[in-house]
Formats: sequence, C-alpha cells, structure tokens
Amino acid sequence: MRRAGSVGESGAIREERTAAVAADTADTANTAQEKWGAIMRTDVLHAVRLARLDLTLVFRNTTVLFTVLLLPLLMAWLFTQVQGGAEISGVPSTLYVLTGVPGLMLGFAVFTNLVNTFTARREELVLKRLRGGQPSSVAVLGGSALGALALFLGQVALLVIWINRSDGVLPANVPLLVLAAVLGVVLFGLFAAAFSGITPNAELAQVTVLPVILLMMVGAPVAFSVDMLPGPLGTVATLLPVTPVVTIMRTAFLGQDHFSGSGEALGMAGQWVAALPSLGILLAWIAVAALLARWLFRWEPRHG
Amino acid sequence: MTLRQGVDATGTEAAGLDNVIEVGGLRQRYGDFEAVRGVSFTVPRGEIFALLGTNGAGKTTTMEVLEGFTPATDGTVRVLGLDPIRHRRELRLRVGIMLQEGGFLGDLTVAETVDLWKGLSEDGGRPVTLSGTTTLPGSFNLMGRVRGVDRRTMGALELVGLESKARTKVRQLSGGQKRKLDLALAVLSAPEVLFLDEPTTGMDPEARRTTWKVIENLRAGGTTVLLTTHYLEEAERLASRLAIMHEGRIHTYGTVEEVVAGSGDTVAFRLAGVTWSFGDLPSLDGTVPTLTYAGGGTEVTYTLTGGRAEARAHAALRPLLKWADERGETLERLAVRRGTLEDAFMRVVGEVR
Repeated sequence: MRRAGSVGESGAIREERTAAVAADTADTANTAQEKWGAIMRTDVLHAVRLARLDLTLVFRNTTVLFTVLLLPLLMAWLFTQVQGGAEISGVPSTLYVLTGVPGLMLGFAVFTNLVNTFTARREELVLKRLRGGQPSSVAVLGGSALGALALFLGQVALLVIWINRSDGVLPANVPLLVLAAVLGVVLFGLFAAAFSGITPNAELAQVTVLPVILLMMVGAPVAFSVDMLPGPLGTVATLLPVTPVVTIMRTAFLGQDHFSGSGEALGMAGQWVAALPSLGILLAWIAVAALLARWLFRWEPRHG
Repeated sequence: MTLRQGVDATGTEAAGLDNVIEVGGLRQRYGDFEAVRGVSFTVPRGEIFALLGTNGAGKTTTMEVLEGFTPATDGTVRVLGLDPIRHRRELRLRVGIMLQEGGFLGDLTVAETVDLWKGLSEDGGRPVTLSGTTTLPGSFNLMGRVRGVDRRTMGALELVGLESKARTKVRQLSGGQKRKLDLALAVLSAPEVLFLDEPTTGMDPEARRTTWKVIENLRAGGTTVLLTTHYLEEAERLASRLAIMHEGRIHTYGTVEEVVAGSGDTVAFRLAGVTWSFGDLPSLDGTVPTLTYAGGGTEVTYTLTGGRAEARAHAALRPLLKWADERGETLERLAVRRGTLEDAFMRVVGEVR
C-alpha cells in the first residue's frame, strides 16, 4: 500500500490526461511536464535499483573485486615507489602521484568493469531481458554507470584518507573534485558502452580494453606533468580523454594550478576558471564517446 | 480498468481496441534472409493465440517485433493499439515477456531475482499483488546478510512451484526450473498482454501442467496471451485460435476446431485379395482412396476433407457400406479417425517440402 491511491505512473498520467481532455481546459504544457516528471522519476528509481544490484554483484565476485578495487590501489602504491624525484611541479612526488591515481581508477573501476559488465550481460541476454522488462534503455545503462560512479567515489574517498594520513592534506575544492569524477565516469561509461560493442565475448574483454588501459597508464599525467613531455607528445597527452579528469582532480585536491604545470596556489574561483579549458576538452570527448556508443553499442548478440 | 484499456497513450479515445494484438503484412529481413514473409493475424482481448511451426519458421522473429526488440522491415504491428517501439514506455508496464532462453544473473538467488523484478515493477507504479502462504526470515552467514523473502515474492514462486528453490543461485537451476522462474517474472506485474516464447520447453510433464494452469488462470482474468510452441498438445489445450507458420508464412489459421477440420478425417479398411484397383472402389464425396498391397490384402485409405467436418465421416460410411453389401465384401478392420492437429501440422510442413 506504499503507493496507495496512485494507479501507477502511466495510469495516473492517463487519469490526469482524460480529466484534462474532458474539461477541455487542458493545461497541456503542465500535463506534459508531469508526464516527463513521472518518467524521469521512474528512470531514476530504476537506475538506483540497478546500481545497487551492480554493487551487490561486484562484491560477490572475488575476481572482479580484485581487478576493480584492489588493482588500482596496488598500482598507486607501485607508482609512488617507482617515482624517484623529490618534487613534481612543486609538489612532493608521492602526493603528486597519489592525486593523479583517480586517472588509473577510472580505467579499472569504471572502464574495464563496465566493458566486462556490458559484454557479459549482452551475451547472456541479460540486457535484452532488462530492456524487455520494466526499465528503459536509459535506466539500464544509467544504472550501471551509477554503480561504477559509486565504486569510483568510494575509491577516491579511500584515497583521500590515504593522502590525509601520509601527507596531512585534505581536498581543497570538493565540488570541483566531484564534478570531475562524475564527468569522468560519464565519459568512460560511454567509452565502455562503445568498446563492449566491438568485444565479441566477456573473455575477450580483457584484450579489447588493454590498449585503452595502457594508454591511460602511460599517457595520463599520473606520475609526471604534461609539460614535462617534449612538444607534440605533450600536446597529445593534453588531449587524451583521461588527462583533463586527472588535472582537474589534482587541482581541486591541492588548490593549485596543475593545468599548466606551474603548481601555483589558486583561490576557489581561480580553480574553477583555470579548469574551464579542461572541462571543455572533457565535454568534447563526452560528445565523441556518446556518438561512438550510439554507433557501436549492441543490446543483443549478433544474429547467427 | 476500462480507463486503462479505452484510452491510448496520446489520450484520445481509441475505438475498437478489441484486438489487443494486430499484425498486418509483417515482413522481417536479416541481411539477405527474410525470416518473416508477410504475416497477418489479430488476437482479441482475453484470448490465447498460439503460433506453431518448425524451427526457423519465423515464430520468434514475429514475437520479437511485437515485443519491441526489433523494428519491422515492413508491415504494421500494434499491441494494445500502440507501436511496440515508439510507445515502448507505455507498453512496458502493461506487457509481460517470457523470452525463449537465458537472461538471468547467475549470481543472484531465485528470490533475489524475483525481488529485483518486483522492485522494478513497483518503481514503475505497477504493484505486485501476489501473496504467498509463507515467508523466509532473513539471517546472517559467513558471506554477510541474507535477506528475508516476503509473501509477495513467495507468492510468485508458489505460483510456478519454485518455492523450495528460493535460496538457490539461479545458475544452479535446471533448464525447466529456469523456465518456471521466467514465467514467474513474466506474470509478476499482472500484465494485460503476455508474450510466451516456448514456455514449457525443457519442463517435465508435471511442471508443464502447472504452467498451463497458470496461463489458463491468467486468461480467465482477462490477460491476452500470444504463445509459440513446438508442442501441438499444448496449443490444442490452451489456444482458442492458432496459426501454423512455415518458412516465414502463415499456412493455416483459425480456431483449433477449424484447423483440425481442415486436416480431414480418415476412413481406412482392408480388403481380401490384391486384385483391387481404384476403379473398383467407390468415390466418397469425390475422394479417391489410396491403395497399399500387403500380406495378401489391400489396405484402403480415404482422407475426407470436403463437406461439413461434423458430418462427413458419417456421410461417407453409408455409400461405403452399401457398396460392400452389394459386393458381399467385408471391410476388415474398418476404422474412422478424426483429423488431429498433428495431421494439419504435418500437412503444412509436408506440402511446402
């Protein structure tokens, strides 16, 4: 009786609509708004439910748990050990590397995880069944992205604790940090949808994600600043999709300008302004990734 | 209820929604292969309609277009007066789908799977009203919290006879048990239209009977059902009307009685001696018999398709007996057999071959 009185989303809308038609004074704009409101509400509820499902399943699968959660933290530790120099862009090297680690986490917790999920569920007809059931396509994909966002933010929170323990630093600009995290998950969620489309089965997912993961490990400014790279390489690194996420998050974390590599201290407003070009690159990549996903993503295995 | 039925998604009164499913001139092509080649049928509200056919006849493809998974290459398709693709959102809440196979998350338990579907249905504003006789309490074990199972979830499991498997992981279920779970999910939100693709494949005879009962009860409650099946007995038992598909076309269409009547009655007997020929035997209602010579006798078989189905066997026997009396012959092992759905089915498949 939780929803007593409501005939249900569509029933309620129809009731509403019939009444409006009968009265012939239909405030159609208002009704349409309510309709979209109800649809969005359903989509959000579905997405949250599916995100919770995804998290449950991640925690039930030891292999996934290891690759998704432990591996990036292990690599973060490794990166801090390998990094010999005392300072990068005026920041202690350990702190510099750790503030760049979200770039790696994005590759594992979000990208690899979602390529695996989408491919396996497509081949096992789970995607088809979900889409044939109550949730809309948006809710199905959004739910998985939301689950990945929760994992990613959880890891970033762990990282914040780690950094606070080792260097006594707390994030300077949490809203900017979270915005970069959300956009990063959107971007790599869309990339994952696109890559799942060219991955024939779940076993091969490890192979298809490899080039992207390698590029992210080598090209993302985790253990170096982009301007340390010579000419064209630096430009390429700047334009990589993962780079703006890393630089924005590092800037938001340390309250310093890490877009140019100068490392000078910035105020709140200064951080937002300095982040604008990177946000622009990020949004452009999101548009590209959305087109790729639209083109390549498949709900069902190929016929025959 | 009338409100839900009488008004379509655009808010206008949709007249004559008596046909819940309408398919007109449907064609479906995959590359060079045309899986469905012009199929038309309608299913009135509250009726069970069966699509029969061999593998690859186009049954599942037809279903997938109706379920909104693939757009039709050509032709019109309406479910509850709506386009399955354009009005997917409106239809989702009112349609239950049982796919031919798969699509479960193997790491979830049976109860968790039902809970997930129940939750998704409620999120959309379609409460689950089933109620079981038992519940299972929540508990803790080494893996963490085990959620309790409520009456509604147990209700769904009891409906299909899966209540003893509530805590079993889906990947450990047998094929038939998965079909039961599938059925439970499809009927969970009391759909107005139910698509069942081979619902009883892999089930043991008892489970099949349970499934039939579930489907019949739903129909009695006003649900419209479109089902595909390989089992002629299933179609004969459940369907009010059926269509036999072969190679992408519907070859026979009508009520079970009509289809069976079309398959013809047979009158068979044996005559002593092997000297009989067509000319010696009477033509019954214009039908000539087939003759087989074996073991010193002649096997004679008439297949009667003309006239009124109810009366034709009776009508044929009179001249036949008269002929035998006049000749002083005995119609040995005389048998009159009504046509069966299998005859109709084999005729369709055989004719095309």
